[in-house]
Amino acid sequence: MKEDSQVVSQQNAFEKVVEFVDERVGLKTIQAKMLNEPVPGGSRWAYAFGSVLLFIFILQVVTGILLMFYYVPSTDHAYASTQYIIHEVDYGWFLLSYHFWGSSAMVVMVFAHMSQVFLWGAYKKPRELVWLVGLALFGIVMGFGFTGYLLPWDQRAYWATVVGVEIMDKTPLVGDFLARFLKGGPTPGQMTLSRFFVIHVMVLPAALAGLAGLHIFLFRKAGPAGPFRGTPEELKAKTDYFFPRQIWKDIVAMATVFLIICSLAFIEPVVLLEQATPDPGDYHPEPEWYFLFLFQLLRLKIFGGEFGQFLGAMAIPGAFMAFLAALPFLDTSSERNIFKRPTALIGWTVIMVFILVFTVSAIINRHFLD
Amino acid sequence: MQPKLTAKALCANKEIGKISKVIVDPLSHEISHVVVRELNGQGIERQVPISQVQEVVSDEEIILRCSLEEFVRFPVLERDQYVTIKEVEIAHLEDHLHVEPGEILVPLPRLEQGVPRRTFFANMTHAIGTLIALPLVYPVLKYLMKPMFQPYDNAWFSVGNVKKVNKENIGFQFKFTRGFKEAFMPEQQIEKNIWVVKATPAVQQAVYEGNDKKFYDDKGDVIWVNKSNSPYIGYSGKCPHLGCGYKWRKTKNFPDGVFLCPCHLSIYDEAGKVIDGPAPRPLDVLPLKIDAGGELKIIDVEYKAGVNNQIRLL
Repeated sequence: MKEDSQVVSQQNAFEKVVEFVDERVGLKTIQAKMLNEPVPGGSRWAYAFGSVLLFIFILQVVTGILLMFYYVPSTDHAYASTQYIIHEVDYGWFLLSYHFWGSSAMVVMVFAHMSQVFLWGAYKKPRELVWLVGLALFGIVMGFGFTGYLLPWDQRAYWATVVGVEIMDKTPLVGDFLARFLKGGPTPGQMTLSRFFVIHVMVLPAALAGLAGLHIFLFRKAGPAGPFRGTPEELKAKTDYFFPRQIWKDIVAMATVFLIICSLAFIEPVVLLEQATPDPGDYHPEPEWYFLFLFQLLRLKIFGGEFGQFLGAMAIPGAFMAFLAALPFLDTSSERNIFKRPTALIGWTVIMVFILVFTVSAIINRHFLD
Repeated sequence: MQPKLTAKALCANKEIGKISKVIVDPLSHEISHVVVRELNGQGIERQVPISQVQEVVSDEEIILRCSLEEFVRFPVLERDQYVTIKEVEIAHLEDHLHVEPGEILVPLPRLEQGVPRRTFFANMTHAIGTLIALPLVYPVLKYLMKPMFQPYDNAWFSVGNVKKVNKENIGFQFKFTRGFKEAFMPEQQIEKNIWVVKATPAVQQAVYEGNDKKFYDDKGDVIWVNKSNSPYIGYSGKCPHLGCGYKWRKTKNFPDGVFLCPCHLSIYDEAGKVIDGPAPRPLDVLPLKIDAGGELKIIDVEYKAGVNNQIRLL
């Protein structure tokens, strides 16, 4: 006790405060636990995607909150207040454009993150629940994109929502209810904007924060999977803790993504089209780029008609998501090396090529419409 | 059997110290070393590989393979090269390790001793929670559903003069503005558009197939009838595929002009029939009348897109 009191007297005021808090909260243990996560086989750039996603999300929250200082979610003010943010408020154009490009970055990173986990076989036992919660998070990110797109209330926003909600209307059994619920009436209007707004700024952030917490908890519970090759001895020799090497890679990746988003916001700042109205004028409606492949798919004649459309817009994407959810339970072999899982490698490649081809053909199609 | 903390370590039948720590391999989760604190006054801690443990006799005693001379050559524990398991997160590390010296117990409070109703209390907690939540379900649902289902608006809107339609079998766009009131909001004027075709008898036949077209209100009563021989046909501006706005366009394949939707490229002829693309049904014909002055009037009927049959929304 005597030694303790001597130690205390040597601390400066700041250290005393830290000591005081730590005694009551146990911060040092928590921090140690957070940072001392052994990464089997050592840190890698490929493991940065999850951290980058968390970083993008935090900045989306920050920029989103800032946008709400001026944005008014009503049909007679949404467009004007967004224009005001872009043209009148100091740095408003930048924050809005950052938020816009940040959302695209989020989708890109989700794809990268999911691909990495898939190719590394990291969804397999005992990480099934990490994967399932991850899929739910993927759905939430898509929901963010869909609901946020309407808020500026320009023609682009309006028509993407009109079509998106018509597609949701085709959900079996609950489609009509779901579409009316989202629209807040038979056709899109003020109630749609109100609902999308509250979903975008309250419901989805709460859901994402909660599920992301669960995702990380489950990930920590199961432990990192590590590389898919190497003997236990090799892995052990290369193992390090999450801090400092992995955190260093993460922070470099975050800074890179931040710079890319900032550059995009500078080079290609958000420009609104005309205010939303049920008359599209000369505008050719199109969804956000990451939905373009689905949009192009629905142009195909085989996905025409009531049944074809159900197939293209609901059944196939639904079956694909169900397949992804079932994946860790169907694929029970413990082999994680992607080069020894030909079906997985071919499947992934085919899907990526499919998305690429359909996205590019949607872009090429634009020229034929003008 | 795993070596236990505080167990005596014997070397050549002589007690040399006690196990003060064990070291666990983070990947295999197995004990890799035991740390023996020497009996002598300095209490030096030496790191002994688990392979040197010959036998774990009991919770209180282990036997090492080494001789006394060999024992003192084991490295001294460098404490700062290790972290405790409280300071590191390794999944399932503790699951099959039994190195604790024993359970640490505290007595139950006196009131908790022999309480037989724990399950009852737990169930009651859930039941009361449910009773709080249940009465909220219906009001919340009704609250959210308030604007979802509304009666049809069967008012007539003037869209323009019929003289504008000066050619037969060509689509003419009429823009109109209509009042739209939602919830507490003041009535707003929104722009909409419809397409009107002055149809030759052949096109009239293609649209109506010789039958008058009846329009109904929510109760199923007829509110208007389009005569099958009326020359002016009005189409809702909403594409029956997925609800975009289509246009009358002349294209390479259709030099006379067709209705083309830029979204998913559905193509309709002047009678609204699907020529190409993914649309499930023809364009939606609107209730239309022309007053004495040639003013075109319509009821702003909207149908659900993407289905084979017309399901009225508005």
